[in-house]
Amino acid sequence: MSDSKQDILEALNIADSFTLAMDQEIRQDGLAGSLCGFALELNQTPDIKTLQQRINKFGQQFPVALASLQQRGKRFYWCKRVTPPTLFFHHQSEAEQAEQSYQKEIISHLINDKQDREEIAPIEFHLISHSTQTTFFIRWIHPFCDARGIELILKYLCTDNTSQFEKTTVKPLVNQQLDKYSWWKKILLLIKGKRYIANIDKLESIQTFDMEQSPQKLNYATYKLTAEQTDQVAKLARKHVGLTGTSLYYIACLMRALDKLNPNSEGEAFCSPYAFNLRKQRALTPVIANHVCALFSQAPRDIVKNREQLFAHLKQQNKEVIKQQLDYAFLPLMWAGSWLSLEEYGKILRLSSSEKERSSFWFSDVGKLDIPEHSFPGAEITSLFHLCQVTTPPALAFLCCNYQKQLILSYNFVEPLVTAEQIETLHQLFITELLTDDD
Amino acid sequence: MKKKLRAFIFEELVFVADPKQFSDEQDLLEAGLDSMGIMRLIMFIEDEYGITLPDTEIEPDNVQTFNRLEQWILRHKNG
Repeated sequence: MSDSKQDILEALNIADSFTLAMDQEIRQDGLAGSLCGFALELNQTPDIKTLQQRINKFGQQFPVALASLQQRGKRFYWCKRVTPPTLFFHHQSEAEQAEQSYQKEIISHLINDKQDREEIAPIEFHLISHSTQTTFFIRWIHPFCDARGIELILKYLCTDNTSQFEKTTVKPLVNQQLDKYSWWKKILLLIKGKRYIANIDKLESIQTFDMEQSPQKLNYATYKLTAEQTDQVAKLARKHVGLTGTSLYYIACLMRALDKLNPNSEGEAFCSPYAFNLRKQRALTPVIANHVCALFSQAPRDIVKNREQLFAHLKQQNKEVIKQQLDYAFLPLMWAGSWLSLEEYGKILRLSSSEKERSSFWFSDVGKLDIPEHSFPGAEITSLFHLCQVTTPPALAFLCCNYQKQLILSYNFVEPLVTAEQIETLHQLFITELLTDDD
Repeated sequence: MKKKLRAFIFEELVFVADPKQFSDEQDLLEAGLDSMGIMRLIMFIEDEYGITLPDTEIEPDNVQTFNRLEQWILRHKNG
């Protein structure tokens, strides 16, 4: 790859840089970097020809999908490759292997695939076929796009009418939001953001898992609630946290489950960062890149021990954050961070003033996925789940989404720091918390 | 009032292909107004109209359509 600027397709935006700093942190832990996955379980083999055509069309319409991530000076760019990477792969089981283990083996390999940042393809599409199960797996690196973007790419693959996904030439949404503020307002927000973080850092974050051993690989466990359970969770979330706090209900229940899993863990408060999307709901553009900002949920351990107090605390915290614009206060910090080296930026993002990890766990609620029925080429989507790599600590990322009125939970954990047995216990505790009605 | 609400929701929170075609009786929750969006909307309303909307009243009945939103705001503005 040449060092000239002629091969540059696009610069990373401020939110992309934020995820790139995490990529660096994950790589420093000896893991594969900020790889993410979106797995769709299908009822049969899809129409591979149509699928491939649409994937190729996607690559043509969004050339960044075929690019290489390169550093030029201090900044990072998506650059043209001499040989574009392959976008579509078909894995077929040859052995008499159990369907679940075959799917898991391939997906585990893909999500733990260690490649140089410059070499790895921004996105890949994998069809995993077994005699009784077919899975369509999308793997991408986080600087390429966020989870909402992947939902849009999936919608792109599910339609012939791709003109509605035209690449917008306008600025990234993070920049658009920043442009709304005058320079003094940006400084004011930056100060607010710094104070917000300083306030969070007053309490040392709880780490549930033992971080003594070296991280080896990401593992995952997924669970699907029944429609009845999902309905019950929605009702309880509404009852305890209100219409505005579904995600907070999950966060609160997970904090309590983690506390019960290891009540003697060190630290003073559970703290979870989570991203919120700047795209309007149901908007089909922008498709690629990251358009997110971050905020935190934090609760001291004594409050976590009381369910109702915890719900009230997180709800009030969230309300204050939005009221004081602390959510957008992170944007100028992200802009400033994008000028730092990845090492410096990663340290600021992860470590509190006492040099300890700020996150107790990563959290993401993708919400309701509205992929039209019968739209996937030649097959029906029966279930789906998300995956993401995570730093150690905290070594746990919890992702959830709702598909066809069923809540799907995905625990992503780094072995051997966290074990599958611990996750099974955590899940049982979490389910109990989710479905508990105090009355 | 509805004009301001429509501008805020369609410019900041929810994408609809043609906002003019979206009636005051159409379902905003179905259109994609989510929990984070409702929280932002409430903050906008409280700032804009100088009222406090009680948490206990944040119910689908009050936020589902532009007509219901307006009625909810008016109850607190006039009360």
